[in-house]
Amino acid sequence: MTQALATTVVVASLYALLAAGYVLVYRATRVLNLAQGDMMTLGGYFLFLVATAVPGAPAVSVAAAVVLSALSGFVIYRLLMRPMAGHPIFAAVLVTVTLGILLRAAIVLVYTDRIRHPLPLLGLANPPRRLPGGAVVSTLDVLTVGVAALLFVALFAFLRLSPLGIQMRAAGEKALLAAQRGINFQLLFALSWALAGFAGALAGSLYASNVRLDPSLGVLGLKAFAVALVGGLDSLGGVIPGALIVAAVEVLSVRYGDPLLADVSPFLCLLAMLLVRPWGLFGTKEELERV
Amino acid sequence: MSLAGGYFKTTYDGDMALVDTKLRRVMLVVLIIALLALPRFASPFALDLVAQVALAAVGALALNILTGFAGQVSLGHAGFIAAGAFTTAVLVEHRLPSPLLALPAAALVGAALGVIVGIPALRLKGLYLALGTLALHHVVLYACGEFQNHWGANTGVSIPPPRLGAWMLKGTTAWYYALTAVAALVLALSVNLQRSRTGRAWMAIRDREIAAESVGIDVARYKVLAFVWSSAITAVAGALFAYQRAFVSVEAFGFFLAIEYIAMIIIGGLGSSLGAVLGAAFVTLLPHGIDAAFARLSVQGGAEYYLFPLKFGAFGLLMAVFLVFEPQGLVGIWRRVRNWFTLWPLRYRPLRPAS
Amino acid sequence: MKPGLALLAALLAFATGVSPALAQYRIGMSAAITGPASSTYAPTYEAYKVYFKRVNDAGGINGQKVEIAYEDDRGEPQRAAANAKKLAEGSILMVNASTSATYKPFMTESEAEKIPLMFGGGVCPREAFPPASPLIFCSTSFGSKWDSRFALGFIKEQAGGKKVKIGFAAQDIPLSRIELEFAEQHAKEMGLETIPVVVVPGNTPDFTPFAQKLKDAGADWVLSWALWHVEVGVFEALQRIGWQGSYLLYGHQQTQDELTRLKAPSLHAFGGNTLFMENLPIHAEIASLVKGQTTHPAHYMAEGWVSAMVLEAALKKCGWPCPKDKLATAMAGVSVDTRGLRGGPIEWTADNHYRKSTYYKVYRWDAAKGAIAPVGGWTRLEIK
Repeated sequence: MTQALATTVVVASLYALLAAGYVLVYRATRVLNLAQGDMMTLGGYFLFLVATAVPGAPAVSVAAAVVLSALSGFVIYRLLMRPMAGHPIFAAVLVTVTLGILLRAAIVLVYTDRIRHPLPLLGLANPPRRLPGGAVVSTLDVLTVGVAALLFVALFAFLRLSPLGIQMRAAGEKALLAAQRGINFQLLFALSWALAGFAGALAGSLYASNVRLDPSLGVLGLKAFAVALVGGLDSLGGVIPGALIVAAVEVLSVRYGDPLLADVSPFLCLLAMLLVRPWGLFGTKEELERV
Repeated sequence: MSLAGGYFKTTYDGDMALVDTKLRRVMLVVLIIALLALPRFASPFALDLVAQVALAAVGALALNILTGFAGQVSLGHAGFIAAGAFTTAVLVEHRLPSPLLALPAAALVGAALGVIVGIPALRLKGLYLALGTLALHHVVLYACGEFQNHWGANTGVSIPPPRLGAWMLKGTTAWYYALTAVAALVLALSVNLQRSRTGRAWMAIRDREIAAESVGIDVARYKVLAFVWSSAITAVAGALFAYQRAFVSVEAFGFFLAIEYIAMIIIGGLGSSLGAVLGAAFVTLLPHGIDAAFARLSVQGGAEYYLFPLKFGAFGLLMAVFLVFEPQGLVGIWRRVRNWFTLWPLRYRPLRPAS
Repeated sequence: MKPGLALLAALLAFATGVSPALAQYRIGMSAAITGPASSTYAPTYEAYKVYFKRVNDAGGINGQKVEIAYEDDRGEPQRAAANAKKLAEGSILMVNASTSATYKPFMTESEAEKIPLMFGGGVCPREAFPPASPLIFCSTSFGSKWDSRFALGFIKEQAGGKKVKIGFAAQDIPLSRIELEFAEQHAKEMGLETIPVVVVPGNTPDFTPFAQKLKDAGADWVLSWALWHVEVGVFEALQRIGWQGSYLLYGHQQTQDELTRLKAPSLHAFGGNTLFMENLPIHAEIASLVKGQTTHPAHYMAEGWVSAMVLEAALKKCGWPCPKDKLATAMAGVSVDTRGLRGGPIEWTADNHYRKSTYYKVYRWDAAKGAIAPVGGWTRLEIK
């Protein structure tokens, strides 16, 4: 039982890292970035790229991967999302879908579908660790949980305490008023995309090192958006309970039910949430009417 | 080419006719003759392509009814196609392969699914509706996957060619005629729906739901009706898909298929029947165009590795380009080109007189 | 509006035509060249390309060139169905080097058009074993039931009389499930203690819950028979949660690289192909021939190379002209010396399109030597 709990927390941490990306972009720009999973994959491949060029230097590789991903987020906003400014939201969401397709095609063109393993290139090992209570997880599992916790603390601090974070929240709530107040909301939107890239790269690097790296990791992004929705699309705090709920349902359905349910269970959670409380556990109610 | 001036109808029938001017009647006859005579000139490969375009057009027209006319954004289209295809598969597994049974059954299953999806969808709007339909798509696929794993003949179901009595539908030419005919029927249906009361109600709901409700349109009923029409036609397209491919397997109906159909109606032009057909043609022919370009350039060794991601990427790129630069789609381009020609040397259309 | 459609139709009428038929052996091959399964099956496609380019450059077989049309199916049944229809036209033989999910449409098409069908990369279907279907042939090194029979024999031998509990990790594709359910049954008949088969979805991101099931049930040995990433995914998850038992899986093309990467002495890979680390003369020959011509390294080419050798032998035996029915008859008597790539020759009879005897070898990482080492020699099983 403690093993199930441990696995749930690990899976939830990964989902939380991805869902943070969704929430950040949605809060700022009201666009649901359906390419977040592919941005995670991109982050993983950046890690692989740098690790192949500079083997045995994990700090450098991770830092480079994260910086490159953040830059990609920035570039994506500037090139693809900013021109969609006047268009209906659904069109913008579709553009993110095409972004996902483009990212995936680019990755396959360069790296083919072969499964890659960056961990040996980083010069690190991933031994199992025994937790109090008898559960066993891998070192990178523990790291995933730690990184997710750190990221959330940092994001909360940033959004609540730093001037830039407060401006971002303002721009997210009412961009027009924020602009009239002198806030450069375009920069803040770009920053939110860069942060989404950053979170995605963290998730991607951790997953690629822990399990494997291949172009189809983007499907994890779809599961994570169910998490974001369950928690509330514009609530960073809601991500944590959302991730725990969805991860718990998934792990339990594998253990005690049909393993094939593992793929569908996040969507069942999503459906249930949409029917009962579409704005999620902690989202703002008015979001429902916005199109 | 309905310009103001010199264009008067003298009977109600004339006013309501689908093909109103003489020029349009002539062009329609020419088109029908061209389509009938095509097998004489075209290679089997080209005929197969046209057949595929026709089948895609049926699905695109159905999605256009839901998203283009009624404004109900749906990402779950692939689920409805799968439902139709698997209805056929289930019937084949139970030794009832006749299309006379499968097509109506698929339509019924589609309609039922439309009701099941449509009623909860009343609570959702816009983005949330899209996400809800996406989630439902995964649930439908799960059900189909379970069928394929546990009851279906393992890795997919083989569908025998459809028979109507003694006659069997087999061969590229026969399928070309059959699918083109079906596409023409659905196109006529779509255009008529657009012009009908139901279509006007849908478009009112799409444009300003509150205003539509205040005018007396039963929004809930029409929204569910949109789902029912759309999914019934889509399921029939799915059944035809199953017969034409002669094989049904769940992984062909993934999320990417839904994206392809959305791309079709967006690239074609949202809300226009012609747009749906043009978009279907564009999206279906694009990979073949890339194949042909590659063959022409005769890129040596390793090309096979690049073809798939290139086709995939080109599709994404074109979809993005249309979304960003040409929201009105191919129809918008077509209208601009047509206006340029018909209005020259003038630039702008005169206002239509109140009729 | 309507003229636009007419124009479109007319344009399509000028689409690419069909190339004229030449005097050649026309073969059609569908493989998972791209897609998630490509690491296992794309090397077969590459091996064929290199092999038959060499054959054609040397003048062909019986004076005729071999023309192979390659199609990519990405391991997806729907694409395979489309490929089957396309390749059946004008071919005297179809080759399938893809996942088992793609078999059905090919077998249906082969049956309908009476074209012989050879499986060169994926698991051998039941129809190739005695009593064999007249049109189905298989050169692949692994086959249902016989693999399990060998694997369980090996586990029992390794257990050395001690009581062991065997777990089974299957993928959620029918062939893997059926095979491991058969293995579970067979193990019970052999007097071994078993755990119910754990089925893993192919695209799951996290294998931990499935590994947990096996660990909790107390498995000493786990047998896995599926696509490589599932087999190895479950093993890695078991290692991550601190499982101490031994793992036996079927070794696909990636075996050599992966055993070197994982460096785990408890991981045993069994297969029919000799690993290139044994450095036989044929390995050096293949390595020099494929140099610079393939995206996968030479040690991925064994499976495809054997398949190409068998095809060459079949075409030679058929002679010229070689219509498809004559080819089917010729193939039913083929005998090929695999020159060390397998444990023995591949011999087909009218009744047996798999081989008269099949050979297995087990490899694992030897920590002391710091290299991959075979565990014992070849085990021969007679196919009846």
